[in-house]
Amino acid sequence: MQAWYHCENVYPFVPQEVLDRADSVRASLPNKYCDPKIAADLFEECLDEHLLCDDLGINVVSIEHHSGINSLYGASPMILGILARQTKKVRILSLGTLITIRPDPVRVAEEYATADVISRGRLDIGFVKSGDSEMVSGNANPVGYVDRFWEAIDLIQKTLTSHEGAFSWEGKHFTHRHVNIWPPVYQRPHPPMWAATGDPETAAELGRRSMVNALVLRGPEASKRAFDTYRNARREVGLPAPGTDRFAYAALCYVGDTDEEGVRVGSKTLWFLNTSLKQSPQMSKFLPGRMPPEVAAQNYRSQPPPGAQGARRPADSLIGITAEQAIARGILCAGNPDTVYKQIMDIYDKVGGFGHFIFIGRSGFLDHQEAEKGIRLLAKEVLPRLPMATPTPAAEPARAAD
Amino acid sequence: MASGELLTVSGIELEIVRRGAGRPIVVLHGFQTVDREAPYLELLGRHGEVIAPSSPGFGHSPRPKDFDTVFDLVHLYLELLDTLAGDKVALVGFSFGGWLAAEVAAACSHRLDKLVLVDPVGIKIGNRETRDILDVFNKSPDEVRRRSWHDPDRFAPDFNTMSDEALVVYARNREALCLYAWHPYMYNPQLPRWLGRIKVPTLLLWGESDQVVTPDYGRAYSRLIPGSRFELIEGAGHHPEIEQPEVFAERVSRFLEE
Repeated sequence: MQAWYHCENVYPFVPQEVLDRADSVRASLPNKYCDPKIAADLFEECLDEHLLCDDLGINVVSIEHHSGINSLYGASPMILGILARQTKKVRILSLGTLITIRPDPVRVAEEYATADVISRGRLDIGFVKSGDSEMVSGNANPVGYVDRFWEAIDLIQKTLTSHEGAFSWEGKHFTHRHVNIWPPVYQRPHPPMWAATGDPETAAELGRRSMVNALVLRGPEASKRAFDTYRNARREVGLPAPGTDRFAYAALCYVGDTDEEGVRVGSKTLWFLNTSLKQSPQMSKFLPGRMPPEVAAQNYRSQPPPGAQGARRPADSLIGITAEQAIARGILCAGNPDTVYKQIMDIYDKVGGFGHFIFIGRSGFLDHQEAEKGIRLLAKEVLPRLPMATPTPAAEPARAAD
Repeated sequence: MASGELLTVSGIELEIVRRGAGRPIVVLHGFQTVDREAPYLELLGRHGEVIAPSSPGFGHSPRPKDFDTVFDLVHLYLELLDTLAGDKVALVGFSFGGWLAAEVAAACSHRLDKLVLVDPVGIKIGNRETRDILDVFNKSPDEVRRRSWHDPDRFAPDFNTMSDEALVVYARNREALCLYAWHPYMYNPQLPRWLGRIKVPTLLLWGESDQVVTPDYGRAYSRLIPGSRFELIEGAGHHPEIEQPEVFAERVSRFLEE
C-alpha cells in the first residue's frame, strides 16, 4: 500500500471569540486575523514534514483551499513547485487545484506539466469539484460546476497528451484558441489522475476513466458505496475489474507510542471538523447549484416539519464529532501502532480494499514535533505491515466521457 | 414538471399565468416567479390580458440544454412578442425581468406600445468598487430579507409555512437566477449604450425603500431611457407590486391609458 501524508496547513491561531462571532471561518473572515510571520513558520514546518516523508518513503499530498483558517495553501501548483524540487524520491499528489473556479484549465495543465518535469515524473494529478465558500472566494458560478469540472479535466488531459503543435478548444465552458504547452509533461501519456468524490455519478465516471477514486473523511460505508459504483460502472462498459490501486481512503490519523498518546494527540486533528468547517449559510446551504432544488428546498425551513430531514452535505454531519465517534466511523485512526494497523485493516476489509491510505496527520493545534513523531511511527511501525496494492489490468487507454 | 397552462415559444414550453382580457400585457417576473394568487394580477387584469410566463428554469418551466444566458432569454421573449396577436404589446418587467424587458425594448421598440420597468436590475452605474445591486447570493439571508422589503415581517416569504412544492419552486428560481445572472452580476455592461434605442413611452416604478437597487439607481436608469418617467411608490421595497398592489396597479393602469 502507498501511504500519503496530507497536511492542510491550517491556521488555528485566530481567537476563539472571533471565530464564534464570525458567521464563516472561510472566505469572509478578514485576513487581518492571519499573521504572515506565523504563516511563514507554518509553511516551513509543513514543508519540512513533507521532506521527512520523502526520507521515510511516504508520498505527499498538496491541496488547495481558499481563504480561511482551514488551509493556507491557496494555490496547489505553487506548493507542487516547491515539493517537486525539494523532495527527491516520493510521489507528489495534487488533490487538487480547484479547476471549477479556475478560468483557464490550460494554465493549470501547464503548471502541472512543469511540476512533473521538475520532479522528473513524480506527479499525480488529483481533481476536486470544490464548492461552497470556494465558489464565493473563487468568483465562480456555483450552478453547473460539475459540467465545468469534467470539461476542465478533458481539456487538461488533452493539453498534457498533445505534442504535435497547437490545438484549439471551443467547449461549453472553456475556449482556448492555441494550446501548446512548454514544457510538455514528463510522464507519458500523462501523470496518474485521481479525483476525490463520493457521489455516485462522479465515482462511476472515474471508473470508466480508470482514474483513482479518493474518499476523504467519508467513512467505510460511503467509501464502499463509491468503490462499488466504480466497479459496476467499469463492468457495464466492459473494462477489466479494478485493482485496489484505483482506490484511496483518507482519514485523520495519528500514531503514538501508546493508545493514550495516539488518541490524545490525534484528537487534536478533530479541530478540522469541529472548528474549521464553519461557513455562512449563503456560502453553503443556500448556495444555488450545490444540490438539486428538490433537496435544497428543505434548507429554507428553520424548523423542518416532523419527520423531515434537512439537506446536509456529508461534511455537515462531522461537525461536533468526538474522538470516539470519529474512530468508530472510520474518520480518525489513532492509537499505538498495533491499534492503528487494526483500525486501518478493519476499514480496508469493510470497503473491499484500497491501495492508497491518505493520512491527515496534522491539523488544528497538533504541532510540528507531534506531527513528525506520528509520521515516523506510521512509516516504521504501520506502513510495512499494510497489504500491497493490487494493480488494475491494462486496458485500452483511459477514455473521455461522451 | 409542468403545472397549469403552458405556452410554447420556439419549441420551449413556458408555464404561464393569464388574467383578464383585452390588450396584451406581458409581465416578466423578477427573482421569483409570479404568484398566481397575487392581488396585483387581478387588478392589472382589469386593463388587459395579463400574460406572465415563467422563464426557462424558473417555476415549472423546463430549461432546455444549453439555454443558459440572458441572451437566450431576450431572444425567447422577442419571439414571444412575435407570437402574440395584435400590433402592440405592453411590457412590464420586475427586477430581473425588468432587465429582460429593457433588453427586449432596446431591440424591438416597434412591437411595444408601453414599457413599465419595476425596480429593474441590468445596468452598472457606480464605479468599479461600488456595487449597485445587492448580492443576493453572497449576503446573509437576513440582510437580503431586510433590504428587499419595506415590511419584511408582513411580506417576506415564511419558509416554515410554505408547502414543499412552493419551496422547491423557490429553490429552483434561485438556481436559475444564479445561472443566468452570476457574471457579470445582474447586469449587461453594454446595455446603457443601447437604452437610448427605446422609443416607446416608458415608466420606471420604484419602491421607495428598495435597498436591492436603490431609487438613485432607478433615477440613473431613467435618465438613460429617452422621455421616460420615474415614480416612487411609498411603503414598498424591491417588490412594490406585492407590498402596494393597489397603488402599483393604479399607477400602471393610468400609464397604460395615457
